Amino acid sequence: MDSGGLIMHVNDGADAPYWNGLAEGRLLLPRCGGCGRWMWPAMNRCGACGSEDVEWIQREMRATIFSWTRTWHRFGYTESLDLPFVSIVATVADCGIRLLGRLDDPDQVDPVIGEGIAGRIGATRVGTRDIPTIIWSRG
Amino acid sequence: MHPLYGTTAVAGIGMRQYRRGASPLPEQGALVEAILTACADAGFDPADVDGFVSYGDDKNEPVRLMPALGTRELKWSSVVWGGGGGGIAGAFGLAAAAIVSGQASAVIVFRALVEGSSGRLSAAVMAHHLNDHMLAAGIVAPAQVCAIRANRMYEHHGVPRSVAEELVRASYYHGSRNPEAIAYGTDIDLDEMRDSRWIAEPFRLFDCSRENDGAAAFLMVSAERARDLKKAPAYLLGCANGAERGWGDLLENDDEALYPTAGFRPIARRLYADTGLTPSDIDVIQLYENFSAQGVASLIDHGFCTYENVAEVVRFENLIAPTGKLPVNTGGGNFAQGFIHGIGTAYEAVKQLRGESANPVPDAKLCLLAGGPGAPTVSSAIFGNEIP
Ligand SMILES: [Zn+2]
Repeated sequence: MDSGGLIMHVNDGADAPYWNGLAEGRLLLPRCGGCGRWMWPAMNRCGACGSEDVEWIQREMRATIFSWTRTWHRFGYTESLDLPFVSIVATVADCGIRLLGRLDDPDQVDPVIGEGIAGRIGATRVGTRDIPTIIWSRG
Repeated sequence: MHPLYGTTAVAGIGMRQYRRGASPLPEQGALVEAILTACADAGFDPADVDGFVSYGDDKNEPVRLMPALGTRELKWSSVVWGGGGGGIAGAFGLAAAAIVSGQASAVIVFRALVEGSSGRLSAAVMAHHLNDHMLAAGIVAPAQVCAIRANRMYEHHGVPRSVAEELVRASYYHGSRNPEAIAYGTDIDLDEMRDSRWIAEPFRLFDCSRENDGAAAFLMVSAERARDLKKAPAYLLGCANGAERGWGDLLENDDEALYPTAGFRPIARRLYADTGLTPSDIDVIQLYENFSAQGVASLIDHGFCTYENVAEVVRFENLIAPTGKLPVNTGGGNFAQGFIHGIGTAYEAVKQLRGESANPVPDAKLCLLAGGPGAPTVSSAIFGNEIP
């Protein structure tokens, strides 16, 4: 993905590699180097085994729909999105981490929990910022 | 017996409530009026109040109330963490902790919210959680977060969507009969409700609570002292607050079984264990419903029904006083009594136990107060007009 046009948010949190990964066109997710558990939200320490060794692993942008909502009300900060729009929680394949994202909804067909989806990296404009995000499609 | 069991009580209550944007007083003024009313209700000198507790990021730091109340000495000043209404019942537990441990003797539990002073509540609640993961997904409001969870509860866990309407109707039925309710005198139009505009699916406008201006205050003292005051005590019998592993502010990565719940499973477990009471002992429920589905999830979490039999229990006829077996939100709840961050549910709990409710439940002795569902930390309490 051409990330040259993105105005990156200053990110210095535990999830910084995730944002940097999206900017580089890759989905990177954190896994504990001690016990192998996937961790999300990203943390600097694994509460299960105590390890502070966090590995960032690339995953394919394939997922299933965990749940969804279609928003019709114009809430503040959503001005760049055409109404209605669908937001989802997506379970990423081969790790089980759930990510918040948007789903293409051209025909307003209700999403089905468990349905397979594929993602591409896009961005959501909020105020003057373009926040990188995965935009999912069915099939 | 648990140290909170029947050792403290609500001795006085006061509330000022207005339509959103219509408060004649600024927030602190409305709050002081509510506190003075609660003290007068109990026949208690407001200058003798020595503690204050609130929740949900209330802006009124107690030390600033002292001049208007004539407070002699402030000994306890605390809040329950969290921006949502999850802490409402926990605030009573915190006040009781102060009294039982001797750190204060007369504690006001309060919540005040006047839009002109503090802005919109929904925006304040979300400020706790908003991050780029949510913003990028277009998820910016409590309604959307709760909608995603509701869809999972309906679709994956098989809860029929019709139960939401039953709960909303019960709240409006009670509110329309409560002179202190925003919905007083207005019967709900079922077609209007069913055709109301979508907010975030599965929620239409009538599935969402709407904010009001105002304040409410509760005077808590020891059970012994409460018995010498003007009104019959509403004893605190138990209170639990918190979250279990796999629940919280987890970017929707909660434990899969907990995900569609309202977060009360550990709260209900502790509350019933600490009090020795069970769901079948509860006579009436004041249920914080930010959104219809979360109100239903809260009833399930507290053991009043299950995913399997929810449609048999959450029926309009079963939820209304005086004839229903599970009377819920007898003042009208957040939907119809009014929504000052849920504090009206606690107000109705005390009124019901005193026999002062506009929709009295015959012979009601025990009332469950269930705090804001779906919040990262949640709380519940049981009050009684006797100590069983
Ligand atoms: Zn580990």
